[in-house]
Amino acid sequence: MTSTDTGQRRRGTDVRPVITDLMDEDTILAVAGDAWISLVGEDEVLVPIPGDLPGDVLSSWVDVVGPWTGSVVLTTGRATAEALSRALLRETAPEVLEVEDVEDAFGEIANVVGGSIKAALPGPSGLSLPQVGHAPLVRNPADVCRVEVLWRGEPLTISVQGALPPLPVPSS
Amino acid sequence: MRALVIDDSRAMRRIVTGILTNLGYEVRDAGHGREGLDVLDEGWVPDLATIDWNMPVMDGLQFVSAVRSNPAWRRMTMMMVTSESEHTQIVRALAAGAHEYMIKPFTADAFRDKLALLGLLPQEVAL
Repeated sequence: MTSTDTGQRRRGTDVRPVITDLMDEDTILAVAGDAWISLVGEDEVLVPIPGDLPGDVLSSWVDVVGPWTGSVVLTTGRATAEALSRALLRETAPEVLEVEDVEDAFGEIANVVGGSIKAALPGPSGLSLPQVGHAPLVRNPADVCRVEVLWRGEPLTISVQGALPPLPVPSS
Repeated sequence: MRALVIDDSRAMRRIVTGILTNLGYEVRDAGHGREGLDVLDEGWVPDLATIDWNMPVMDGLQFVSAVRSNPAWRRMTMMMVTSESEHTQIVRALAAGAHEYMIKPFTADAFRDKLALLGLLPQEVAL
C-alpha cells in the first residue's frame, strides 16, 4: 500500500505554533470559570476585569510538554491565595492554614486549570507536577495568552506562556 | 466500606476524603502510589481506591499495574481521579486495569454519581 504525502503532516522545519495560534482569552476564561465553579463553589465567578496585583504575590503553575510547550501560570496576592485555598477546602480546611497548605491547594488549582487547558491544546502532551513560587519567566512575548480577572474583588492572572525562546528569523 | 485515597495534593486528599467520609466510608490516604501499596501490604485492602495520575515516586498508572499483578487485591475497584483528560490517557488507564475515570475538576454530586454507577454507594446512602 502506498501513501501520499498530502502536506498535512508537520515537518521538522515547520514553524512551531505559538499559543495565540491555538487558543484565545475567551477559551482560558471559560476553562478557568468551569474549574472555579467545580472546585471553589457554584457561586464563585471570575470576572474578566483587570486589577492591580499587590506587591506580595504567589504563583502556581504546571508545565505542558507536547506540540506546544509552556506553562499555565496562576498569579495572585498571597492573601488571596490563602482565601482561595480555604474556599477550595471548604469544611475540610484546618483552623490554621500553614504556608504548605496554601501552596499545596493553590498548586492543585493550577494543576486542574492546566489540565483543562492542556485538553484544549493539540496532543499528545504531558503535564508536570504543580510548582509554587515565583512565576517562570516569559521567554517569548509573542507566545503568551493572558487573562486578568477578579475573584471576590481580588485580582488574579492566568497566563498560558510558551517555554521556548522565539525561533531565529531565517536569513534570505 | 473502605476507600484508599491516593493523591500527592494534600488539599485533594482532604476533599475526596471528606466526600467519601460523608458517604459513610472508612478512609485512609496516601501521597503517592508507593505509599498506597504500603497500605495494601499491611493487609488493609479497600473496596475502592481513588488514584491521581501525576504523582512523585510512583504515579497512578504504575500503582494500577502493581495492584493488577497481585491476585490478592483483585476485588478492589480502582478509579482514576485526575486532571489528565486526553482520550489516549483514559484508554491507557483502563487498559492497565482501572475501572473508572473521573476528570478533575468534579463536584461532590458527580463523584457520588460515579460511585453509584460502580455500585459502590453504601446501602444506607443509596436508598
